[in-house]
Amino acid sequence: MTIKLNPDQSRILNWRVKSGGVAGVIGPAGCGKTTTGSFLAVKMICEGYAKNVLLVAFTNSAANEFARELSMVLGPEGSKFLCVRSGYAPGADPRLPIPFSNNIEFVRAKKIVICTTQSLKRLSTSIKFENMIIDEAGIERLEHLLSPFALGINQLGIHLMKENISYETNNIIELASKCGIIATVVGDPKQSRPIGLADYDLSAMEWVLKCAKYDTLFTTHRLPDRLAMLVDEFADYGGLNSAPEIASRRFGAEYAIDKNYKEILNPEEVITWVNLNGNEEMGGPSSWYNEVEAKACVRICCEIKRVAPSKSISIVTRYTEQRRTISKYLQHLDIETRVLTTTGALGTQADIVIFSLVRNNPERLVGALGSLQDLNVAISRSKEKLIIVGSFEMMLNGLSYSHNSNSRHKQNFPQKLARLVNEKYGMVVTAPSILCN
Amino acid sequence: MNSDIIDVRRTYDYLRRCQTHLVQSSEIATACVCQNLFKLDYPFGATRSDKDYLVANTVHDIMSLCMSGPILENWHSGLENYEQIAKKIVNESSEIVNTVIKDIIEGAHQENRFVQDDFELQVNDIYNGLVVGMTRRLMKNHERPSRVLTEVTITNIKDHHEGRIDALLEYSSGYGLLDWKSYELSNTVSGREKWQLIANTLLANFRYRRSEDDWSGHNFSCIVHNSGVYFPKTETIVKEVERIKTNRQFAHMVLCGERVRVQRPKFCPVCDKGLEGSKECLFYQRDARLAYEGKLPAQYEKMTKQFFAKRYAILKERAETHLHKHVVYTQISKHGEEEALRRLEKIGILSRGYSYDFNIDEKVILSRTDDNIPLEPRRIVRIIGMEPSRSLLSCINEQASVMEVRNSKITLSFRSKIAVQRAKRQLFHFPLILLRDELNLTRSMLRPIHQFHKLAAEVLIPPELLV
Repeated sequence: MTIKLNPDQSRILNWRVKSGGVAGVIGPAGCGKTTTGSFLAVKMICEGYAKNVLLVAFTNSAANEFARELSMVLGPEGSKFLCVRSGYAPGADPRLPIPFSNNIEFVRAKKIVICTTQSLKRLSTSIKFENMIIDEAGIERLEHLLSPFALGINQLGIHLMKENISYETNNIIELASKCGIIATVVGDPKQSRPIGLADYDLSAMEWVLKCAKYDTLFTTHRLPDRLAMLVDEFADYGGLNSAPEIASRRFGAEYAIDKNYKEILNPEEVITWVNLNGNEEMGGPSSWYNEVEAKACVRICCEIKRVAPSKSISIVTRYTEQRRTISKYLQHLDIETRVLTTTGALGTQADIVIFSLVRNNPERLVGALGSLQDLNVAISRSKEKLIIVGSFEMMLNGLSYSHNSNSRHKQNFPQKLARLVNEKYGMVVTAPSILCN
Repeated sequence: MNSDIIDVRRTYDYLRRCQTHLVQSSEIATACVCQNLFKLDYPFGATRSDKDYLVANTVHDIMSLCMSGPILENWHSGLENYEQIAKKIVNESSEIVNTVIKDIIEGAHQENRFVQDDFELQVNDIYNGLVVGMTRRLMKNHERPSRVLTEVTITNIKDHHEGRIDALLEYSSGYGLLDWKSYELSNTVSGREKWQLIANTLLANFRYRRSEDDWSGHNFSCIVHNSGVYFPKTETIVKEVERIKTNRQFAHMVLCGERVRVQRPKFCPVCDKGLEGSKECLFYQRDARLAYEGKLPAQYEKMTKQFFAKRYAILKERAETHLHKHVVYTQISKHGEEEALRRLEKIGILSRGYSYDFNIDEKVILSRTDDNIPLEPRRIVRIIGMEPSRSLLSCINEQASVMEVRNSKITLSFRSKIAVQRAKRQLFHFPLILLRDELNLTRSMLRPIHQFHKLAAEVLIPPELLV
């Protein structure tokens, strides 16, 4: 194993190999949730704590990420020997050394099984897992957790445990723990929330945090110091910090920056808000787009590509219609850049992230953009520089609501972000005229 | 011009607060057998079987291609020497049969699924049986149809009904409906197949006459099975329609979360014969009895409430998968088809003007004249062929997912190569509409809740009450 774990990760690893039941691990952006999960699985198998481990992710890309980490930890031969990727064949990354199979005997013979939540139905219910690690639980509902849990029920043990359980179990998580299910549920309720979940309801991760023990990873290996501080204060993590080796990382241009973009791409600033007043337009049944912002994002992207061709760029937005609009412009210019919605951006990172706000209206309605989770994801993808594009006034004075049912006070998150960027961690610049048409 | 968009968005907002459930023909048939059995699927999620229907699905795929090919080409009505024709059809279908079998085995191997040694033999046997049945009973008594459509999904929003019909035979005077069964019908006892057939016939009436109660176009409906063809008598169909409608309403109300009194039949072919699923059914019946008698432990009752809250939240999601279709229906009812399509196109729910370019295996490339395609990768769409004088949601269609959108071209991934072949035969020559659609994954979500419900009962209900 060549990857080194930080003290947070080691603490969690030692805690989880020795403790049973269901437990949670909160991992803010870039804290190595998947790495910790992969190491945990390997440690369980290699040190004999479990005969087999199930690794579950909500999406195929996250399941592939698990497989990639495992291949790095175990090496190509080791991962081929010990692991199997199961579920939906077209979703599995064929470049990874881990074999794919849904064959019950083949799967049963492997020690570590990687699968998505929806594809678990393809695994036979006769396979039982002694241990499981469930990633991205922030985006899952409680019922999503039950699919893997059902594969961990210890039927023989239930009768023995029955006397201890009777009349002391209040909820499904406790019931699962007491029925011999050993699961580490990993996620961050401040980064994601299941789509369509009622405001009063809890996500799978929130259920686990409410009903079981949990620990938090606090060291991010992605966000430079100022960005880590912004994210920490914005989402109230209570101590998120940058790993020393990346804390001072800054954007560096290889070629001279055009005078129009000097302020925006200033290497000294990690966070820059480009104040731009484009009009929002309705698109789709519930989405929005903003042409002026879309064009501005593409222009900034072009300039970054020119001055720093080796840097990776992601454009992030809350709205699918805006993603489509930006992608269309990029396609016309034949520029390869990832354009993601906040949901799709989960688990991704890039050197430079451009965040398009979209919403700008006289009524100051921020709508779904105002959720803690969407804003938090958008501002925490960047390794060097974050550029926010959109109306500063709108965010500062916009009317918002909170999706976080746990918070006692409904907070205005767009306003909080605008204040933190302007007053503490970044700089608000007026959009140059070149970006305004 | 924004008022058009606002109007459609308001329809969405309104319908999101309504019940947009659709009941499938197969579900209506289950409810007709026993209403408790329907509840076992929804809301309980106690799936009764883990079987892999590889053989049956393969036969369906073969029939869907052969019907409009060798079978239609060799259709001779009133013939006596049916065996010879059957042989000819089987010979001429061999290429299709072999290709489908090869594709299915390839797909199964890719996923490392178990394929029986005699898989090919079984498929050929069943296919031959179906062809013999068709030539002997169907061709003998019925004219050659002018066109055959296979695997047609029809949605009747007004009556909350949806179903997939195996084959529709079109005549100048009306239609005939076929349903394939890969097993011997004489071995079945429940009558489920009959009810599914009649439920689908109501959908076919809707497709051809825009009303499920208009029987003027109905020529015949039948089940083609391994050893023959079953034609229900007209009196049987008429008699059973009311039963279908009653059970459709029952199923719809259950899905909507309403309290409905279950009418248990005098004889339930599952519980009374102790078949697979009867244990689960009795489990929920016992639960209901204990709750009625006030004997359930408080902890268990509390947890049961959590389970049911989750179940109905999942069912709400199932309803949302039909939201786009409801919006289309509402808009068409309000503004007429052309104006509704214009509005829906403007907001990006559907888009028109596509034509088929080419395909590589299950990937199909469509193109249109401009580059304003309002879709993006991973979105699920229903590709509808606009047939003249048919309502939009009963036109021929297939489901696919968007792989790539590049300028004026869109790449779609179909479910299988066979689905593409079918679409090439019966769909792509019509003007194409892409309508946003959603996948229904609710069954797999309900299943673990059922498992945990049983677990909670096992742990929390005192053993003396479980007896």
